[in-house]
Amino acid sequence: MIEARKVWLRYTPSQEWVLRGASLTLAPGRIVALMGPNGSGKTSMLKVLAGLIKPGRGEVLYEGSNIWAMDESRRLQARRAAVYVSEKPVMVRGTVMDNLLLGLRLRGTEPRQARDALDRVVEGLGLNGMLGMDARRLSAGQAQMVSIARALVLKPRYLLLDEPFSHLDRARRRLLAELLGELRGEGIGIAIAGHEELYTLELADSVAWIESGKVAMHEPGSVLI
Amino acid sequence: MEDLVGVTARTLYISTTATILASLWGIPIAYLIASRRLQTLAAVFEALVGIPTVLIGLLLYLLLSKQGPLGGLNLLYTPTAIILGEAVLVTPLIVGASHRILKASIDTYGELAASLGASRIQAMTLALAESLPGIASSMAMAFSRAVGELGIALLVGGNLKGYTRTLSTSIALEVSMGEYGDAIRLGAVLLSLSLGFSIAARLLGGRG
Repeated sequence: MIEARKVWLRYTPSQEWVLRGASLTLAPGRIVALMGPNGSGKTSMLKVLAGLIKPGRGEVLYEGSNIWAMDESRRLQARRAAVYVSEKPVMVRGTVMDNLLLGLRLRGTEPRQARDALDRVVEGLGLNGMLGMDARRLSAGQAQMVSIARALVLKPRYLLLDEPFSHLDRARRRLLAELLGELRGEGIGIAIAGHEELYTLELADSVAWIESGKVAMHEPGSVLI
Repeated sequence: MEDLVGVTARTLYISTTATILASLWGIPIAYLIASRRLQTLAAVFEALVGIPTVLIGLLLYLLLSKQGPLGGLNLLYTPTAIILGEAVLVTPLIVGASHRILKASIDTYGELAASLGASRIQAMTLALAESLPGIASSMAMAFSRAVGELGIALLVGGNLKGYTRTLSTSIALEVSMGEYGDAIRLGAVLLSLSLGFSIAARLLGGRG
């Protein structure tokens, strides 16, 4: 379980707090939708949960241990349980396959050890025809699929997706929604930040509504109403 | 006129060495500025881009002359003195261009690497690797500035035939002697080098 507990965050000391005592729990096998107005702190909350940003106050717990109280190497190991996928897909120079293998390479994992995950992701997200393509020439939707696939190849226990449906056409949204549903069934905890209410809410077990830096939990149905 | 090939080779040697030297200290400074967000230092280097070359030449002359603090090194009127001067000249250019490229790269690729579970060093390595075309472009730009430099080469190089004479100092000499044809020929070579590296800079930058 990943838990952000009473987290306060601002990017510079002169700035306003983006998160003000916000708490959020992501459990295995559950999908939480993070919703709220633009600039409400959804992306910041995902990055805090991913261990990418240290909050000014509060704790971030991975399986009960505060990652910011750990030394750097333990924190690295702990936060590898979760992968954050940005709304703006970033591709490194090279092919789609190079990008899919990037995380494995960074973690020192042999690609053949992740063969199953790779095949499944390529198949599941319909990337078969584009593996040899120049990753920087992909459309926004293709790049978004590749960046999600790149995260899934790592077989994370928690997946933190920032606006994952935003650049996708209807067919790809459906593909992704199906895959996320399957992953939840396999015990992966997923947080989805987004405005695409239909797909996000259809999948979500609970909704975290972020506004003015605070989080309020709702049932998905109550948000739809 | 001194052998054109010799002068061109010497000019290339001096400018290339100066660019490499400036990169050796300029790129780490640029990385430091980008990673630590040292805005004041960035502003200082950007302000130094426009420093007159003759001023650098004068300062270096005072440092390297017999009475200067580094006079004992006997570097005045040597190719090494020109290399040092040109390296100082292009350092702000390399730092100014590279720190912007590195900052964008650290923000983008550093976060990507960290989100995929990379250590801090791996994230830094990825950010550096992805910014290489841009950094190479800033080096090519610096070279094209160094290759046509005159003030430093004259003041601390002394324009000695077969030793410190470069394309730009040769042009100055030929013009002073009224040999305009030779000056134009030398100018054409200098222009080709400068343009060639400017185009290379653009092409390399475009690949980033």
